Amino acid sequence: MHETIPAFYFDGKSSRRFPVSLTVQDRVAVISGEVQRACPLAELRVSERLRHAQRTVTFPDGAYLEILDPVAFDRLLATTGHEDSFVVRMQQSWRGALAAFALTAVVLFLGYLYALPAAAGFAARALPEQAERMIGGETLAFLDRRLLEPSAMPPARRDALAARFKAMVTPRPGAPGYEIVFRKSRIGPNAFALPSGQIVLTDEIVDLLNDDDAVMAVLAHELGHLHERHLMQRMIQGTMIGAAATVLFGDVSSVVASIPTIMLDLKYSRDAEREADDYAVAMLKANGSGPAALIRSFEALEKETGDRSPYLSSHPPAAERIERIRSAR
Amino acid sequence: MNAEAPETTSEPASADMQRAGPGQPEAFTFTGSGSEYFRIWIVNLLLTIVTLGIYSAWAKVRRTRYFYANTRLAGSSFDYHGSPLAILRGRIVALLLFGAYNIAFRVSDAAGFAMLLVLGALIPWMLWKSLQFKLYNSSYRGIRFGFGGSAGKAYFVYLVLPVLSALSLLLLVPFTHQRIKKFQHDHSRYGATSFSFHAAPGRFYKAYLVASAVGLGGMLAIMLAFGGALAGLAEAGGLRGAGPAAVGTLILFLLVLYAWIFSFLPVFFTLLQNLIWNNTRLGEHRFESRLRAGRMIFIALTNLIGIVVTLGLFIPFAQVRTLKYRIESMSLIPSGSLDAFLADAQQQASATGEGAADLLDVDLSL
Repeated sequence: MHETIPAFYFDGKSSRRFPVSLTVQDRVAVISGEVQRACPLAELRVSERLRHAQRTVTFPDGAYLEILDPVAFDRLLATTGHEDSFVVRMQQSWRGALAAFALTAVVLFLGYLYALPAAAGFAARALPEQAERMIGGETLAFLDRRLLEPSAMPPARRDALAARFKAMVTPRPGAPGYEIVFRKSRIGPNAFALPSGQIVLTDEIVDLLNDDDAVMAVLAHELGHLHERHLMQRMIQGTMIGAAATVLFGDVSSVVASIPTIMLDLKYSRDAEREADDYAVAMLKANGSGPAALIRSFEALEKETGDRSPYLSSHPPAAERIERIRSAR
Repeated sequence: MNAEAPETTSEPASADMQRAGPGQPEAFTFTGSGSEYFRIWIVNLLLTIVTLGIYSAWAKVRRTRYFYANTRLAGSSFDYHGSPLAILRGRIVALLLFGAYNIAFRVSDAAGFAMLLVLGALIPWMLWKSLQFKLYNSSYRGIRFGFGGSAGKAYFVYLVLPVLSALSLLLLVPFTHQRIKKFQHDHSRYGATSFSFHAAPGRFYKAYLVASAVGLGGMLAIMLAFGGALAGLAEAGGLRGAGPAAVGTLILFLLVLYAWIFSFLPVFFTLLQNLIWNNTRLGEHRFESRLRAGRMIFIALTNLIGIVVTLGLFIPFAQVRTLKYRIESMSLIPSGSLDAFLADAQQQASATGEGAADLLDVDLSL
């Protein structure tokens, strides 16, 4: 019962090591040999179990024992009622590690599919509109310098388009303030919403569609991005995924870390497009027309940009979007 | 199970102490294993995710303790005493600063530059604090390490010199690096015994020159090897006009170039670790580092492949491999008995007081 365990004693004052032996009597640890010392078990701290490293027993003043016979020490610990913590037991068994692995995979998967979009969406809607406006304040100025030019459309036509859209009802109240900005584009037909609440409509897309109902549908889709707070939500999601990838792969290589970030973020982008499509359909319906104009805009844009691969794409394929809208009718 | 027995059970106690006579090199050994660290890593990862990152501070303590406890010198291991709460506090501060910095530039350039100034003023202080934290919380044979460099010097090496190197078109980078290492090593101590650093700036310039020559030479060789194929691609009018073979060549070219850039870092790292540790002393004891660049490149590339193929599950094995090689290439050349180090009496007194609790750890290692 009285196990005697060989150990080294370090007094915390010098680097000298003293060969000693450790016994436990009546819940008091007794050190004998080159050093004599006794200390109640309750005041000692035993290091966590590791496979190759020696275990240590630390005294309140920083002095410690390095245990030389781990097997006998385990027997001693068992008699004193010392128990490994839950985390240590999990770390030291393959069953625990495999369970941790499976749980990690499940948590990451569910987090990616449900928890992160829900939390980011909630946070985006909870944040004041002002926060979004502040963040996107200089985006249009930046784009104006690089990609956009002043619109060549006659002002009367611009005003007419903007006024017609303003007169439409939104599918649900509480739409954010927005401003339709007309620009000529160096990157082809396009329309997009900015966090600052501006919806940029290019001359090229108006010419390409050549159909004011379709232009209204496109604007409704962009307003959907603003009303659903997609830009803030995407920013939060992107930051979280980037942080997770950096934690996982950042030590290895920043290129390796950025690949999953981009791939995973694309799904969120496509989800946001689908939500904006739904919003546009609802808005058209609220104004007494069907989704036909939205479908026409997809078809016209698809003809222009060509068929793109559904993978690695920020938007779902046009055919899928059209199919979705038709089946939802 | 059998393989572990001789290592742990009967370490020859007294023989070891006599071996530590003058001049006999004491090799550092690392007993950690990839499979054991994998289990620690995966449990840390799970708990970090489900606690939304809060556990990461506890994870850091477990990880560091694992690495320290498995690092052995002259029959004894190292120990880590960092408090998870102090680490958590430091991480929250760092996260807030990082978040503010990222948002600031989206708000406006002025806000971004203001934030840059704030960071410039704070980061040297945080680096200084984290050096103190890391050393104070490390021990060997029951004696704590410590760091005595002043805040003023920290601002000089972490703020003034980097700004000057940027202004000097990077000509001062090796000098700055030397001064940072000198600051770190000259003011570190083990108990009451000081470390000292003896590599002159010229040695750093030489290391940077050699590394740049190797890096640029390799890149030039790759460019020449692929030159013909790439010129053909350009003539064909870019990717659209090129056949699949040419696109394949381009992808191969990018892969080889990336592999080279990736393997060049270990070369640089090898030169520096050897330079730094071969010129560091602890009192009269010297260190020796014999890292080989070829081996480091091999480890780095095979680690990268392993991690990509296993979608990250190889990471803990990769970390242990790298660490084991880095640690085991080091030895201490004692000039006398390793039993003679004394704890720093002053530090002992303040350790129990308020000083230690105030320390904050930020994970910035330069």
